[in-house]
Amino acid sequence: MKKISLAQLKSNHKGKIVEILGGSNLAAKLESMGLYEGKEIAKVSHIGLRGPVVIKAGRSILALGHGVAAKVIVSSE
Amino acid sequence: MIKKIYLLGNPNVGKSVVFSRLTGVQVVSSNYPGTTVGIDSGYLTLKDGRVEVVDLPGTYSLEPSSKAEEVAVSLLKEHPKNEMVVINIVDSTNLERNLLLTIQLIEEGFPVVMCLNMNDEAAHKGVKIDPVKLGGILNVPVVPTCAITGVGIKSLIEKIPDAAQISRKKLSNQERWVEIGNIVETVQTLEHRHHTLRELLEDASVRPISGLLMAGVVIYSAFKLVRFLGESIINKVTDPVFYDLYRPLLETLTQRWHEQGFWFHLLIGDLINGKIDFKQSLGVLTTAPYIEFGMVLPYIISFYLILSLLEDIGYLPRLAVLLDNVLHRLGLHGYAIIPMLLGFGCNVPGILSTRVLESKRERFIASTLISIGVPCVPLQAMIFGLLGAFGGLYVAGVYLVLFSIILILGIILNSAIPGYSPEFLLEIPPYRFPPILVLVKKLYYRVKGFLIEAVPVVLVGVMVINILIYFKLFDYITGFFAPIVHNLFGLPKDAIAALVIGFLRKDVAVGMLMPLGLSAKQLFISAVLLAISFPCVATFFIIWKELGLKSLLKSTAIMIGISIIVGSLLNLLIW
Repeated sequence: MKKISLAQLKSNHKGKIVEILGGSNLAAKLESMGLYEGKEIAKVSHIGLRGPVVIKAGRSILALGHGVAAKVIVSSE
Repeated sequence: MIKKIYLLGNPNVGKSVVFSRLTGVQVVSSNYPGTTVGIDSGYLTLKDGRVEVVDLPGTYSLEPSSKAEEVAVSLLKEHPKNEMVVINIVDSTNLERNLLLTIQLIEEGFPVVMCLNMNDEAAHKGVKIDPVKLGGILNVPVVPTCAITGVGIKSLIEKIPDAAQISRKKLSNQERWVEIGNIVETVQTLEHRHHTLRELLEDASVRPISGLLMAGVVIYSAFKLVRFLGESIINKVTDPVFYDLYRPLLETLTQRWHEQGFWFHLLIGDLINGKIDFKQSLGVLTTAPYIEFGMVLPYIISFYLILSLLEDIGYLPRLAVLLDNVLHRLGLHGYAIIPMLLGFGCNVPGILSTRVLESKRERFIASTLISIGVPCVPLQAMIFGLLGAFGGLYVAGVYLVLFSIILILGIILNSAIPGYSPEFLLEIPPYRFPPILVLVKKLYYRVKGFLIEAVPVVLVGVMVINILIYFKLFDYITGFFAPIVHNLFGLPKDAIAALVIGFLRKDVAVGMLMPLGLSAKQLFISAVLLAISFPCVATFFIIWKELGLKSLLKSTAIMIGISIIVGSLLNLLIW
């Protein structure tokens, strides 16, 4: 198990959210959209080098800007 | 006693559709988060009388993290809780995420009725939710509905009086998610489904290579379809009506009129080769209706049909993801593509919908780019009308100039205005296939809205122009601007009147430029100038209203600067 950010996670790989860096504001916002610590997600794609990251969480598909994705830390095999 | 009913739920769960069903008030709904930017209200008749129903912007939580959410939450807290009911609209296909808000609402002591919407879609996806069990656990009435077809709305109305305040222990969000996990486990059964073609397409459209390919195909076919449909309506419907029915009628009616008289000039305008020419006569009864109904309306219909289709399928947020990189350089984020696309129909709703953007800085950049660089349907019809005869290259040229202006101006604004472009965080809806009836209804309301806004202005506009021309009052205005327009842009004095009138409505200006016999180069420059210079009066006011006088003045100064620079450059560069 290693801890990496959503921006670093490879497409088509799964991970479990272990931490959300940055202010409590961002954490609260992500939490209300269903991205909380312990949630399992799967990364769908990454558009360009510094573009948004698309993930699946539960039954939602979410797009996160690169900066946001870099602050979501997941543990992955 | 219920005095108010609020509709609250996560973004894109169909609140506006439920709202229309309850109140009969028609509001636009689309398959992406943030369609409702304002607050709509209407009335529903219950046993005790009429109650006001308020449709609130979507929110994920009662602890707001965006402006739209703040608005929703503060409105909700305005009214005493024992005199209201909150209809919590929940997307059945995504129960887990939606329940956070539900639990917060109950904990805060709001009387809640839960509307399990999109029940049909959930069933289709193999998701089954037991409404009785769910109601039992949460202690609130739960009604499964499918708002788009109207199923369940009647029972929803019947359950409204059953909503009551209940006390529930307040939890932290972390604890709530654990609880939600347990609830979902108990009430929901999932039937395993294999990946469907729809899901494959959903994923492919947000992957870099396949996504860009799809975007190219979608945008190209949308553009082609809009043109094809618009032209078909013109050739098969409107032109035959105007040329075979309306013109003979007008000619018979005005046979005895004196051609030089004031009324003839006002209503019919000038005869071209002894005949009424709808594009050039410039009369209140000739060119004015032809421009609106014969040139612009067909494209308004075809544009909004295609746009509504893309909206309701749920393609636009995917385009936003793909374009996020580019738009970041313009100080915006991907979602700004939605206001921009709306702006291609009419700038006014485009600028209104910039409310989905977070900061004032973004709204200013987006609104300025839309009003300068995004040509609305009337303007595009005008560009085609003026330049179509010279070939597609000229038409494409105008689009190319506008596109370059958007890019360059965006990059400049992004570096000149202090601030940053906020990060993108967006839920992407599943693809849905809207019932034809829903599309037709939406098209009808949009077209109606356009006609109400445009037709009076065009009629009055043409009338005012004719009076000004008849009494030769334009000479004063043209005399003032003549040096700039003539020396810098290489346009004749007569074109000034058209450019000035472009401020009122772009489509009227075409009728004034046509008879001048300009060269291709002059028409090209006029078309570009009309496109980027002052927005029409309606856009002008909407920027004022939405962003304030200071932003309007700044935006206007930018427009004037760019018009002068681009007009002169084109005049120098083109031979």
